[in-house]
Amino acid sequence: MHEFSICQALVAAVLAELGKVKNGKMRLKKARVAAGQYHRLVPASLKLAYKILTRDTPAEGSSLLIKTIPIKLKCNQCGWKGTTRDICFVCRKCGGVDLEIIEGKELCLESIEVE
Amino acid sequence: MKIKVYRDLMGANDKWANKTRALLAKEKVKMLNLIGSPGAGKTALLEQSVKKFSRQLNFAVLEGDIETKNDAERLARLNCRVSQLLTGGGCHLEAKMVNYAVRDLPLRRLDLVVVENVGNLVCPAEFDIGEHAKVVVLSVTEGEDKPLKYPTIFRESSAVVITKTDLLPHVPFKLKKCLANIRLMNPRLRVFQVSTVTGKGINEWMEWLTSFAGGNRDSEK
Repeated sequence: MHEFSICQALVAAVLAELGKVKNGKMRLKKARVAAGQYHRLVPASLKLAYKILTRDTPAEGSSLLIKTIPIKLKCNQCGWKGTTRDICFVCRKCGGVDLEIIEGKELCLESIEVE
Repeated sequence: MKIKVYRDLMGANDKWANKTRALLAKEKVKMLNLIGSPGAGKTALLEQSVKKFSRQLNFAVLEGDIETKNDAERLARLNCRVSQLLTGGGCHLEAKMVNYAVRDLPLRRLDLVVVENVGNLVCPAEFDIGEHAKVVVLSVTEGEDKPLKYPTIFRESSAVVITKTDLLPHVPFKLKKCLANIRLMNPRLRVFQVSTVTGKGINEWMEWLTSFAGGNRDSEK
């Protein structure tokens, strides 16, 4: 359900950026979002929310592209770095469990495409 | 034409969260975000905490719910300073609504604000509401695999309170397995085992809460 809340922020950002381009006279084709895997956003839910929330706005009819960024970890014991799809964070080199997330927490509007 | 933007989508929420933290810092008040599934025992834990420790610790509760004022009324009966936040359908609290509620509190007279989030282990984990720490509540009537099923909240929290431990002899909950799952998700998580019926474990939890509030009791509050 948090996809809807996040999408409200997304649509506000998209409209703000669109308004800056040639006094808002351009048509929005695409909005690109970078979403870290850590947020576990469901792309279909985010797209549905986007379709609903852009209705009757200048962004209506535009498509949303979602780039998922995998979780990348760093082991605080041996320095190993690598990506994971596992829910449990275990170092693949030394087996340690003290790891920090260095990528995969991003959540941003990366770009918009207008015509 | 492609235009690069790179705008953080949690930015607006985080701005409100930081405003709240600044407000709390000014009056040396700490805030806790209590998160758990519906029925995990969050309100019961707060009732016990208020009953036993309201003399040592000046605290206020912000009750987050989708509907009804039931939980706020439970705490108000104990003379606890409580405000109800109704989301009207929203599955979690966000920083702006908490900021408005915090501004209404007599912060000068408080050591601690506890926000009881909407019963949900998923969405509240994603939103910074201006707290200094998140605490997850997990009852023994749920399941020992909850830390594996909801990894984000167990990773984001500073402590976990395992509640309803008086029911352990009657339910198939495997405590050892649960503790192992918690360690696997977050080795730094402090673990408390509490029964609000027998009172077992409440003192340890309150010791942590008092130390979290940061010795504000010694001030002139």
